[in-house]
Amino acid sequence: MRTYLYNGSFESFLTALAMALKDGEDSALAMEGQAREDLFTEFVNAGSDPAAATAMRELFERRGSAESWQHARFAFLSETEDRDAALLAYARLIKEKGAAADNMLADDRVKRVHGLSASVGGEAHMFKGFVRFSELADKTLYAKIEPDHNILPLLTGHFRARLGAFNWIIHDVKRGRAALYFRGRLIFAPLTQQKALEFAGGEAAVQGLWRHFFKTAAIKERTNPELQRRNVPLKYRRHLTEFE
Amino acid sequence: MELQEKLEILAASAKYDASCASSGSSRGGRGTGAAHISGVCHSWTADGRCVSLLKILMTNECVYDCAYCLNRRSNDAPRAILTPDEIAGLTFEFYKRNYIEGLFLSSGIVGSPDRTMELMLTAVRKLRQEYRFNGYVHMKVIPGADQALIDQAGLWADRVSVNIELPTDKSLRLLAPGKTKDTVLVPMNRLAHKIAEHKDERRSIKSSPAYAPAGQSTQLIVGATPETDREIVKLSEALYAKMMLKRVYYSAFVPVTKDSRLPALTEPPLLREHRLYQADWLLRFYGFKADELLDEAHPTLDLAFDPKTVWALNNLDKFPVEVNDADYETILRVPGIGVTSARRIVRARRAGALRLEDLKKLGVVMKRAVYFVTAGGKYEGIRKESGEAIRTKLLEHKPSGNGQLDLFSQADLVRETLPATVTGQL
Repeated sequence: MRTYLYNGSFESFLTALAMALKDGEDSALAMEGQAREDLFTEFVNAGSDPAAATAMRELFERRGSAESWQHARFAFLSETEDRDAALLAYARLIKEKGAAADNMLADDRVKRVHGLSASVGGEAHMFKGFVRFSELADKTLYAKIEPDHNILPLLTGHFRARLGAFNWIIHDVKRGRAALYFRGRLIFAPLTQQKALEFAGGEAAVQGLWRHFFKTAAIKERTNPELQRRNVPLKYRRHLTEFE
Repeated sequence: MELQEKLEILAASAKYDASCASSGSSRGGRGTGAAHISGVCHSWTADGRCVSLLKILMTNECVYDCAYCLNRRSNDAPRAILTPDEIAGLTFEFYKRNYIEGLFLSSGIVGSPDRTMELMLTAVRKLRQEYRFNGYVHMKVIPGADQALIDQAGLWADRVSVNIELPTDKSLRLLAPGKTKDTVLVPMNRLAHKIAEHKDERRSIKSSPAYAPAGQSTQLIVGATPETDREIVKLSEALYAKMMLKRVYYSAFVPVTKDSRLPALTEPPLLREHRLYQADWLLRFYGFKADELLDEAHPTLDLAFDPKTVWALNNLDKFPVEVNDADYETILRVPGIGVTSARRIVRARRAGALRLEDLKKLGVVMKRAVYFVTAGGKYEGIRKESGEAIRTKLLEHKPSGNGQLDLFSQADLVRETLPATVTGQL
């Protein structure tokens, strides 16, 4: 029984997935440092091979379809505990059945990966609304987020199209990573906050106006905190200006 | 007056407008902002309603004295007016912090309809031209304004709307002196015409300007006047068909002013409003006709059951439906099956025959659907096809008859129909 280890990057994950797929039915994959030791398992470091990763992508895209590839990408970003096993089972099914696998919606292997992908896509859509920027003294727009899934890569295109005229940073403080958009260039980098942020002069006033607007917009006779909680779960409120 | 105080007065006056959609447009380009085809909600207020636009009145001053309206002339309330610069500036500052998708601008009538419309247009034009703002703009059209001014609205806004307010001419005359059916329907018709005309033009000349690309909507108040649900649903059906409206919003009447012509309600008829939205959804996404849902003998929507279940119970001869070979439209009519699960059924059965136990995995609410479907000929509902027995069983699974609780399912309904709105129907 072999378990293929990847280093956390998507490329390395796809490399490990390709190796596990070739190996046979009882292979598995896991992220380095997260695999549980036992007597019967042989661990193999998969490394990160761009050619193997591309081949894996092609298996999803050509043997499967553009949809299969998107589900695989999104499910990877879910970072849930069962992600590796779920994607391996899904990849085996795509290899066996091709694009028809994605029609097997009542099959638990397909349902799980489609479900993870939907949950990642859903959270990314919610955060297109939930990201809150503050203007810093140097005019950079800065936002903190703490999403369940690693959705940062799915947000940047959206904000690039809208706020291309500004410099901005979206900081996933849970994962210590940020998307930095500066003079039209986008990079992803590890980021931890070292010192207190210095805000622009008018920032507090605009935030105050927004909180007032938000409070005023509710209709007293229709108060329904349960419905509000279903739409804005408490876990997301920490970085929402209007709930601060 | 401080900006904060103005904002408070003018947001408070605008909040009763139910429209919050920011969907249906995919504006973009140079400058700042873009519109998202399926719309984006940014927050939800304490009443559970979505916030996606800076929804404000330009002014709450008004020359009219409509009985149901907070801004009626005779109401002794503080008045405020925002300048075009203030409106454009505020929208831009909120937008760049990602608080909102854009602006929803309505207004009381200051001076004259023309004057009001001109000021609103100045604000929106400023936003588009000086701030180069490409986000979403929903603009109310002021009934009675000059046609040339009304025509301009669609050039700057993504969505335009004229509120019907009350479902019949008689009710309008009673509660909104100065408004008639014509003052509402004439500009609405004009806008419908312009939207269609520009669409045709853009089909042949791609570079011609977009005109209200997210279309037109309207709103009416429910429960302030004696119209039946049937009258309201028939009206909506006609508005969708004849005026090509994208949305009709229903707003449960909240008594904000005292007037002897208004009913004395202890609370807004929220459950009725919810049932109307469900019926509206059935018209737009489920292929139902108003006459199938309500007739002269039954002009009121059942408060205990959603309108699709009521229809199914009244048409038991059409059930059960075999999920393995019924067409999509037929499956869509089964209680407990929504747009998403109906699509999944049609897709999944291509990979192999479906069993009853598979349906739950496809998102079907089996507690309700079980009485109305078979899978591979298997049926697990009630043998004796008695509407009364099914009705009793369905009621057992109701969380409670309480209107508040029931409203939760509206969020589900909206979520469920989201995939359909990706193509911009919302």
